[in-house]
Amino acid sequence: MIGSYTRLLDGLQETGLSSLYPDRFRISVGMATCGLATGAMGVFQRLKEELDRTGFDAVLSRTGCLGFCQREPVVDLYVPGGPRLTYVEMTPEKAAGFIDVLSRGGIPVEDLLCVHQSETLLGDTVREYGTKGMDQLSGVPLYTEVPFFSKQSKIALRNCGIIDPVSIEEYVARSGYRALHDVLLEKTPEELIREVKESGLRGRGGGGFPTGLKWEYTRRTEADERYIVCNADEGDPGAYMDRSVLEGDPHSVIEGMILGGFAMGASTGFVYVRTEYPLAIQRMEEAIAQAGKNGFLGDDIFGSGFSFDIEIRQGSGAFVCGEETSLMHSIEGVSPEPRNRPPFPSESGLWEKPTNINNVETWANIPAIIQKGSGWFSSIGTGKSKGTKVFSLVGTVRNTGLVEVPMGITLREIIFDIGGGIPEDREFKAVQTGGPSGGCIPASLLDLPVDYERLAEAGSIMGSGGMVVMDQSSCVVDIARYFLEFTNDESCGKCTSCRDGSELMLEILTRITRGNGKSEDIDFLEELGVAITDASQCGLGQTLANPVLSTIRYFREEYEAHIERAVCPAHACKALVTYRVDAGRCTGCTLCARNCPSGAVRGKLKEAHTIDQGNCTKCGLCFDVCNFNAIVVE
Amino acid sequence: MTELKKKEKIGTPDTADRQSGAVMVVGGGIAGIQSSLDLADSGFKVYLLERTPAIGGTMAQLDKTFPTNDCAMCVISPKLVGSGRHLNIDLITNAELMGIEGDAGNFTVKVKRHPRYVDSEKCTGCGACVQNCPVSRIIYAVELDEVELERKDLDIVMPLLEDSAGTRGSLMPVLQAIDRHYGYLPKDVIRFISGKLDVSISEIYNIATFYNSFSLVPKGRHRISICMGTTCYVKGAEKIMQKLCRDLGTEPGGTTEDLRFSVEAARCIGCCSLAPAIMVNDRVYGRVKLSDLSGILKEYE
Repeated sequence: MIGSYTRLLDGLQETGLSSLYPDRFRISVGMATCGLATGAMGVFQRLKEELDRTGFDAVLSRTGCLGFCQREPVVDLYVPGGPRLTYVEMTPEKAAGFIDVLSRGGIPVEDLLCVHQSETLLGDTVREYGTKGMDQLSGVPLYTEVPFFSKQSKIALRNCGIIDPVSIEEYVARSGYRALHDVLLEKTPEELIREVKESGLRGRGGGGFPTGLKWEYTRRTEADERYIVCNADEGDPGAYMDRSVLEGDPHSVIEGMILGGFAMGASTGFVYVRTEYPLAIQRMEEAIAQAGKNGFLGDDIFGSGFSFDIEIRQGSGAFVCGEETSLMHSIEGVSPEPRNRPPFPSESGLWEKPTNINNVETWANIPAIIQKGSGWFSSIGTGKSKGTKVFSLVGTVRNTGLVEVPMGITLREIIFDIGGGIPEDREFKAVQTGGPSGGCIPASLLDLPVDYERLAEAGSIMGSGGMVVMDQSSCVVDIARYFLEFTNDESCGKCTSCRDGSELMLEILTRITRGNGKSEDIDFLEELGVAITDASQCGLGQTLANPVLSTIRYFREEYEAHIERAVCPAHACKALVTYRVDAGRCTGCTLCARNCPSGAVRGKLKEAHTIDQGNCTKCGLCFDVCNFNAIVVE
Repeated sequence: MTELKKKEKIGTPDTADRQSGAVMVVGGGIAGIQSSLDLADSGFKVYLLERTPAIGGTMAQLDKTFPTNDCAMCVISPKLVGSGRHLNIDLITNAELMGIEGDAGNFTVKVKRHPRYVDSEKCTGCGACVQNCPVSRIIYAVELDEVELERKDLDIVMPLLEDSAGTRGSLMPVLQAIDRHYGYLPKDVIRFISGKLDVSISEIYNIATFYNSFSLVPKGRHRISICMGTTCYVKGAEKIMQKLCRDLGTEPGGTTEDLRFSVEAARCIGCCSLAPAIMVNDRVYGRVKLSDLSGILKEYE
């Protein structure tokens, strides 16, 4: 019997390998949300049309996101007997030329980002590519030479952008479901939990609680039924790695959950996805159906007697539902307010049964840990933070995208080496990590190694991994106000400290950004922040003061400038700036006058314009539309 | 409703031109109760008429009230008791107004009082009948009418309810499916599923208003979500919101008059690397410039 399941996996692997590395060209288009948003669908269709038209023999497939979102749409080309090539910033027009070159026997070099000479999986080389066509590619950088990729090491994102997300064969071809097979047939749940504990894996959703320990608690609680949940309610603005994993490699999450179910003795798993991620929901549904069809989900998996099923539940746009007790209430269909802990979900969770909740990225790490062993995983990272973490590097940085780096790497390496620094060589000001629960880290701490402890010491948190880079044009007071507006709106209203405290903080911050701050405001904000943190029940309230406290800690002088001199040093606070036309630069093109919604821009054609300050609403439209940099913000 | 009809004459005036000094308040919700109390305190005799078996209305079903988030019961319960024992207030519950004759200040009303089958003079509200009722037909507050849906709505709602039958926590998926179909949560449909799923209206209302993506009013055919995530905010999402709202003549959270578009702020649509981003229905547009907007809108009719 055991042999038949090995044969099933071998069969899938063979099919997967022949579709990943066919004996003809394979063109794959990155079609996750970010790709689609930049027109990957048009590229895909054009490629298909051109292939049909020219009759060129190639496999056309779709993949998830490679992580280099700045340069989307990304297209990969596998040359049979040769390397794999990554092209960036494709358009339907370029796609036509692309096929044209191929059909004439050449290899396109336009928009070619890099050459992959081999393929690595979890640190090991799995396939050396051939050299066919390399002679045409001299001077093209290797994958490992591209700064964006060279410092990354991919575990959770190991398959994203390489395989077709809804091809179980390609997932198996990259060693998928092998860990599950081995564990179900050879290990006990206790051994599995010990392995996860020894790996040092900690929750990737933000809390950073040791995963193995949580599993053990859930397993230890006596119950007739237990549940596991995958938290894909990625609510932190600025973070989207969970979306990318679900869209690019849903099977890794499914395999992780089945392993978790086995370890904890659960027979049902829920995936709780935000409704804002329609594509992720769709891909997850397809992947669950495939896993079920192949017998990886359902009754008696691999003949081991263990049965497990996964259901998808959708959120409906409430930030607090990312908090575990609130999330469980939402799945139960009751009012999704958080509740006090203890009892922890591992004792009493969904329908009062022991429940284990882990984040998408945590689940995606599990199969890799089982496959390569806890020793391998714990050799990566720092003292208490093991493995890698995916960050979404966004904001004013040259290379935006998803980066997966070993714990302990410095912020400078992430932002300047991988991210390529700030565009137009403007000055770096701060990086915001951890979303509304995190804080702003200033330039003086750029050499801070990134792990759970160091970020907490700096007054921020790891959070789900959002990393929003800001330059001098962002005002930290305004950013703090933005986050308070967010948390104030999303506060469920159960705890007074959070409901009214956030309201009061927002009121003060709004006043400061309008130039009406009082000298005692800063001290009061600090005092209030500590009080809210202490008196709130759930994570939302306990951390909502972080953006304010951290910006006061590092940018106190900016608060003071707003309060004492009614000046916004970044020229970002609307009430504190004026727009003016630089008569020397204005060509009188009238573009700004035509766009001004309040009719505040006056002037004749080919004459320098002026702005009537009385009518100006400071919307900034004139500044945005001006082609001659003639609008000055002061 | 019943054959036991009883008509009462209330506030009979002596002559046609004399003002009676008695007032009838129709409707025993919070507004009616408060008016009755104020009038009664000013010395008027008040008849407070209420159609349902008990006064209190919607507020008595709510947990909190807007905008102060005050506890609804804490506000209303002293007033309920106050109006019940005020010497100047006569409560006429479970009764309907059938007609009015006369002029302002001097009129006669006809009231139809529905039977309770309980002698309200003697009932102490001990609740023993509820516990001992063999068929459990006694309930305190009743939904007045059995909600009946039109055929076309039934065709949509019934399959949803059947699909979810037996699954735990089915309310959310059912609400989401209704929202997807109608674009909002229509009142009658909600009342209908409340009965079918045995979840009270107030509970559904709580959930429907907790989540951002549910709406109780009709939405446009196309939903535009402008991402207000941190990155998009830093990169000027507010300006996009301003321009879009101005072009469409609506405001954030609003719907255009022709029901073509609804505009709302989204928390984060997870497209941070391509900020600022907007989503129309399920399609995401990245690196949106102000000048792109009119082109995007043209794609949707």
